[in-house]
Amino acid sequence: MFSFDALSLLFVGLIVLGAVPNLFYTFGYLPHIERKSHFLVHYFMFIASMLGVVVANNALVFLFAWELMSLTSWQLILTDTAEASTRKAARFYFFMTHFGFVFLLLFFLIAGNGELETAFAQLKIGAGAFAYPTLLFFFVLLGLLSKAGVVPLHVWLPYAHPAAPSPVSALMSGVMLKVAIYALFRFLFDILYPWPLEWGVLVLVLGALSALVGVLYALSEHDIKALLANHSIENIGIILLGFGMGMIFDTLGLFTLSSFAFVAALFHTFNHMSFKSLLFMGAGSVLHRTHTKNIEKYGGLIKAMPVTAWTFLIASVSISALPPSNGFLSEWMIFQSMLGSSQIAPMTLKLAIPFAIFALALTGGLAIACFVKAYGITFLGLHRSENAEHAHEVNGAMKGGMVLMAGVVLSLMLVTPFYFTYFDAAVQLLHGKSVYALIFPEGIWQMHSVAVYGGTVSPLLLLGLLIGVTLLLVMAAKLIGVKTRCHRSWACGYTTGPRTQYSATGFAGPIRRFFSWLYRQNVHFDKERVAGHESKFSHAHFDVHVTPLFERSLYRAPVRAAQVLSYWVYRLAHFEQTRYAAMIFNMLLLVLFSYRIFAHEFSWATLLLESTVMAISLKILVIGDRK
Amino acid sequence: MIAYAVTILFLLLAAPLLTGVIKSLKMVLLYKRPVSVFQGYRTFSKLLVKETMLSAESSQITRVAPYLVLSPLLVALLFLPPAVSGAWYVSFVDAFTLTGLLSLSTFFLMLLGLDSASSFGGMGSSREAFIAAMVEPAMVLTVFSVSMMAGDLGVGAAGVNLAHRFPAGHTASFVFAAISFFILLIAENGRIPVDNPETHLELTMVHESMILDLSGFYLALIETAASVKFVIFASLFASLFMPFGLELPLLAAFGVFALKLLLIALAVALIEVNTAKLRLFKVPNLLGIAIVFSFLSLITFYVLGA
Repeated sequence: MFSFDALSLLFVGLIVLGAVPNLFYTFGYLPHIERKSHFLVHYFMFIASMLGVVVANNALVFLFAWELMSLTSWQLILTDTAEASTRKAARFYFFMTHFGFVFLLLFFLIAGNGELETAFAQLKIGAGAFAYPTLLFFFVLLGLLSKAGVVPLHVWLPYAHPAAPSPVSALMSGVMLKVAIYALFRFLFDILYPWPLEWGVLVLVLGALSALVGVLYALSEHDIKALLANHSIENIGIILLGFGMGMIFDTLGLFTLSSFAFVAALFHTFNHMSFKSLLFMGAGSVLHRTHTKNIEKYGGLIKAMPVTAWTFLIASVSISALPPSNGFLSEWMIFQSMLGSSQIAPMTLKLAIPFAIFALALTGGLAIACFVKAYGITFLGLHRSENAEHAHEVNGAMKGGMVLMAGVVLSLMLVTPFYFTYFDAAVQLLHGKSVYALIFPEGIWQMHSVAVYGGTVSPLLLLGLLIGVTLLLVMAAKLIGVKTRCHRSWACGYTTGPRTQYSATGFAGPIRRFFSWLYRQNVHFDKERVAGHESKFSHAHFDVHVTPLFERSLYRAPVRAAQVLSYWVYRLAHFEQTRYAAMIFNMLLLVLFSYRIFAHEFSWATLLLESTVMAISLKILVIGDRK
Repeated sequence: MIAYAVTILFLLLAAPLLTGVIKSLKMVLLYKRPVSVFQGYRTFSKLLVKETMLSAESSQITRVAPYLVLSPLLVALLFLPPAVSGAWYVSFVDAFTLTGLLSLSTFFLMLLGLDSASSFGGMGSSREAFIAAMVEPAMVLTVFSVSMMAGDLGVGAAGVNLAHRFPAGHTASFVFAAISFFILLIAENGRIPVDNPETHLELTMVHESMILDLSGFYLALIETAASVKFVIFASLFASLFMPFGLELPLLAAFGVFALKLLLIALAVALIEVNTAKLRLFKVPNLLGIAIVFSFLSLITFYVLGA
């Protein structure tokens, strides 16, 4: 019923690491919540159900815990139901999560041959006996990736995660998404193991797409929590890039590289848990004190909220994959595993993987831009609104939660080898190949890549050097005796004010313009002119809306199709009797013509002629004039 | 070890000289009376004794960021390939770490721009973020390609390997990677046609506008960072793409290395004089060329083996 192997325990560890600082934060956040008992019951049930998912060893327990996880998080989104958008987001989340559930259920029913209580290890037999393993793979992908928020099943995520109270957003983005990654590891290894090459390529492509789409939409976002939610899509994409590389290497028989890539994916899973939880907590603190999610209304918060600001900076450096942070280390490993592609034989694939490298590198560059924006606009400069001006630091428990989480982020950077023993144990269990000794062959100071011509990185040395050089510079400043004086910023003779600063919209402007084919932006620009002068105005308002392309094309298009169809069904049901008679006549024509064309003798000329006759008679007799 | 320390010191000391040489070369080419090539040192010593003005709107970040802009670059300086053969060098640090350190420096520079609450700073940060995001993929792909030709991703080891046995069979992909890297050198250091280091005109400037509110010691740190960044790129280009002359006797090898740096400075000056600055939205086209060349380099390496 339950299993406590290395992989399960690793993810239990992840949940505990994510949940404990979150408990402190929640404790501080609680006075802000109105329905306390409702919140607390669902909050603890949510954590328990996530633990249940990662230790489940048969389909019934797994599905029960999975569903409980979905339902409790759905209720947690509904903690504060005052806003209509929250209710809408919760409904969207409810539908999407059950959409995924159906596929998981189908997968288990097929693999277990209708039996839901067999252990996962036995499911491999049922899955192996099934004639279409790729169908099972697609069920797993649809079921899990709709939960993890991978393109194109990501659309619910930027609505649902921000709508929840901030500690819950931190748990959902930081921890719940990782439960889906756990399930991906579990099912692909334990049940569907020998993978065709195409599966790995598909996962790689999905990962690259998610990474790029996530970061691009994050850049254009003004709602700080939605920005972070979009970054979750990006980071899940990065995890899948590592996972996909692992699958490809495994299929091609390069087991060392494959294990290395899986370890990289697990490492990034942990890293994303730590920094994304911290970022959501920081955003929650800011939101708590300013009562707005709009990033344009913040500014200068580092002065009033130093703890929030500095912990947020640690997380920003880490998520931007800057050395020597833990985010850099895991992205470095994923890059290294991609460099390993120079060893593979199939030329098409060998030429295609540089495109994945390109996607990951571009994602990294854009993530830096996005976090400069998020950090700079939120915490630096002058206050952009009354709310930001009156903000002050959050209470001790919330600060404690953030500092603890910052500790988790730092520990992932400082004691990487310690964590790696567990990642390696999990990958060894699944894959039978240990890479710990290859990554740290000369002790814990240097991390080696297993790729041929691969590189080396030494986070501790790098950190030590950075600190040392910085201290030297500071000492030099002391030695010279730098005298400082404060004065207003010079703004070409004007005075600086909140409205003369660059806004988040302006900051992302060049990138938005360059990627305008993706964003399809709608610009609203109203100004009240003074006496009709083009350049003189008393008041102006500039607003940019980005079209959610995936939502519109993949989700709204079927809705539109259903509407068109139902319009015609409606018309059909409300015809006069003469029209029905005409339809019967048309039916008769159709049967006669089809007999002649398909059963008697075929010629293109008659087909054309008779379809024209059919079309004309349909138009005149049945459809008639459009009312 | 001594050669290593001397190289680092030489690069550090030559950094302002190199930017000074570009500036005076440009002025000569434009028939102006050139400023002294030592102007960089004069500015530096003057900035050290001047009082440092801090913007009242700014926060702790302005007091911390200048150090963090310079220190990653100084750390990166320690990991460069050796200038002479047989010298000690840091063999294990790889090219991703190096690009990461450069990004770390840029990250804090961009935060610095946003901290002073002036719209110039925000403008510079926004443009820098845009350019840096486009530079990243070209950089990584070029590094990938060079690491395969050199047989090692470690920067120092790659430089030594290339000098030791030049990949004569892969000249085509080598040249493509060199072109890509040279474009990156121009883009990352904010030279014309990407950014004009000499104007203070809000329509054109990128790097200068981020540091507009700095003065005194902090400005000295940032100016040093800019020249150190150029010297890092120039020395990388010299070691990776002009891998010859390391086996000469010690002094001659140093001389050749210095000549290579001067040659790169000359090339940059010639490009600066002969091209106009690109519009910001045309810059991605130039960086797109760099990306295409790095892809070409990889594809030539894989498919043709040339």
